[in-house]
Amino acid sequence: MNSVEGLVTQIQGLSSSASDVLSLHNVLKQADDSLHAESTRLLPFLDQLDPSKHSLGYLYFLEACTAGPVTTESASSFVLIIARFITSCAADQIRLAPDKFISVCKRLKDQVLFLEEPLRAVAPMLSAIRKLQSSTENLTTLHPEFLLLCLLAKCYKTGLSILEEDIFEVDQPRDLYLYCYYGGMICIGKKCFRKALELLHNVVTAPMSTINAIAVEAYKKYILVSLIHHGQFSTSLPKYASTVAQRNLKSFCQPYIELANSYTSGKITDLETYVHENMEKFGSDNNLGLVKQVVSSIYKRNIQRLTQTYLTLSLQDIASTVQLNSPKEAEMHVLQMIQDGEIYATINQKDGMVRFLEDPEQYKTCEMIERIDSSIQRLMTLSKKLTVLDELMSSDPMYLGKVGRERQRFDFDDFDSVPQRFNI
Amino acid sequence: MASSSSSGLTFKLHPLVIVNISDHYSRVKSQMNPPPVTSTSATVNGVEPQQQAPRVYGCVIGVQRGRTVEIFNSFELLYDPSTDSLDRSFLEKKQELYKKVFPHFYILGWYSTGSDAQESDMHIHKALMDINESPLYVLLNPTINPAQKDLPVTIYESELHVIDGIPQLIFVCSSYTIETVEAERISVDHVAHLKPSDGGSAATQLAAHLTGIHSAIKMLNSRIRVLHHYLVGMQKGDIPCENSLLRQVSSLLRRLPAIESEKFQDDFLMEYNDTLLITYLAMFTNCSSTMNELVDKFNTAYDRNSRRGGRTAFI
Repeated sequence: MNSVEGLVTQIQGLSSSASDVLSLHNVLKQADDSLHAESTRLLPFLDQLDPSKHSLGYLYFLEACTAGPVTTESASSFVLIIARFITSCAADQIRLAPDKFISVCKRLKDQVLFLEEPLRAVAPMLSAIRKLQSSTENLTTLHPEFLLLCLLAKCYKTGLSILEEDIFEVDQPRDLYLYCYYGGMICIGKKCFRKALELLHNVVTAPMSTINAIAVEAYKKYILVSLIHHGQFSTSLPKYASTVAQRNLKSFCQPYIELANSYTSGKITDLETYVHENMEKFGSDNNLGLVKQVVSSIYKRNIQRLTQTYLTLSLQDIASTVQLNSPKEAEMHVLQMIQDGEIYATINQKDGMVRFLEDPEQYKTCEMIERIDSSIQRLMTLSKKLTVLDELMSSDPMYLGKVGRERQRFDFDDFDSVPQRFNI
Repeated sequence: MASSSSSGLTFKLHPLVIVNISDHYSRVKSQMNPPPVTSTSATVNGVEPQQQAPRVYGCVIGVQRGRTVEIFNSFELLYDPSTDSLDRSFLEKKQELYKKVFPHFYILGWYSTGSDAQESDMHIHKALMDINESPLYVLLNPTINPAQKDLPVTIYESELHVIDGIPQLIFVCSSYTIETVEAERISVDHVAHLKPSDGGSAATQLAAHLTGIHSAIKMLNSRIRVLHHYLVGMQKGDIPCENSLLRQVSSLLRRLPAIESEKFQDDFLMEYNDTLLITYLAMFTNCSSTMNELVDKFNTAYDRNSRRGGRTAFI
């Protein structure tokens, strides 16, 4: 008890200036084991410390307190304490001990999941991310935890706000995979399929040394979302995907690839029978909702194909070609697509004819100029970052070693022997 | 060190010599371990960076026809700091080799790098005098000065001057011209058209043209701003109203926007958008190619089962 009380007074004394905080950090690191040993008795001491001023000390105490298993009584009180701590702590102090902070936040997540109230931890987790990040381009381990909480609490909009930021630095590759996977799921929930596709693509083509389950699940969703959004799916991964992914992913996702094949054939009945047969497989992966969306999107795809063949078409003909039940349904579908901006058409209700039009964008407005200009600016900053990375990579000894080894075998001088053979 | 020579010789320098000297210097400097202090840290420490910049030495060879001395080529020599002279045996061996290939070339002198000729250089100069009665000293200044417009190369001759009653050999500057063979002209042209580095002035014609237009428009803008300021002052009453000036301003303003109509706006915006789109496309291509290279390099370096053989070009 004396050591703990002594520690408390030290924390209260040494938390004012930056150099004091550093020396306090060393003291706390040494006292960490003793804190963990007395974890059950630490709770009353927390009241003596102020989370906003003594953040580092409070963090150590809190981490030791919450180290035990999660129980119902402790969970609700701890959730309150941790949430209050996160909102009021000082960012520079906790950045000195990031792994402790991350473990405290993970405990928070475990406790709210135990209590089945994930909504309580969404806001504290968001402020925790903001405090832990060194810049908005940094991906921390807390990002995927936050997205998981948003998914479970079904508040997709807050999740989307985090996804808007571009990521440039990643601490751990697993964070990136989980972040992009959960992010993709949130975007699917909000029906922004373009962004979902981008995020899932990131997981699938990320550098990985061995195949992991996150990539496999992401690939399954990637197939389905690309069918919904683009109407097509190519089974070959791009060249920049890792060789591990290129070789192994397809073997894990066989039913989905066959679904994609029957989709591209365009026959709705075939697709529906196939889905019906494999219902359990899709259901076990929790992808049944997405699969149903795929089936409904095939009508859209067929109507879009019609725009390329016909200039005008009657609603009756549309219904029969696309295998819908009545012209009324066809009209609803076409109306929905016009509203979403997927096709340009006018419906003449008097004689039930649909005229397909061209894209009316003339590209001569000032808004278009601003859009292109802002895109160019973004691209310029990205390009600068890429050149810096490229130069760093060129001087990386691992790269130089591998390239140097390859080059020796194909040195120009080695081919000197060849012309001699052709000397007549 | 006098400023001009009186020997009446005309010197012609080939670019190959300059490239050789600078290449020699860059190689030695980059192989030095640890690397020499950069100028930014030098100002912090107060250490003179010149002390750590290496000096390289070599010989220049060429032809002398009458009063014209043409320096064609150069080769490197090792400097022996103990005897303060250049490696003599190596020089003679090289001279023989060059004689076999270029029978007309003679050793015309030697070169070195640095900001100014030094007293110790006279030693080396005198040592070479038995090969050539009046050798040349070509000096390259390797410090990069972005404000400087001419080449940092100077050619020194030695002259016997009487200073304080004692006849002494001192270095005098000579002027020179650059002479190129067709092959040299092509390679120098090629190097000059590479992408200009950051901070350098616009080298391409398009960039120069656009910079001209930009500065013209900027000037127009500032002049109009002055007029506007003046008119506002006149409106407020600070400045007395001058009708003749007002008439001139109004006639100027009526000339300014040449066309102002709906159709013009449309066409103008469309063309503006087209140019922006092309720029966007160019940036995209540039960025994608950088990204592609980066990912290729990353995969070569870190992918455990990367594809081997046959992918590297042997050019």
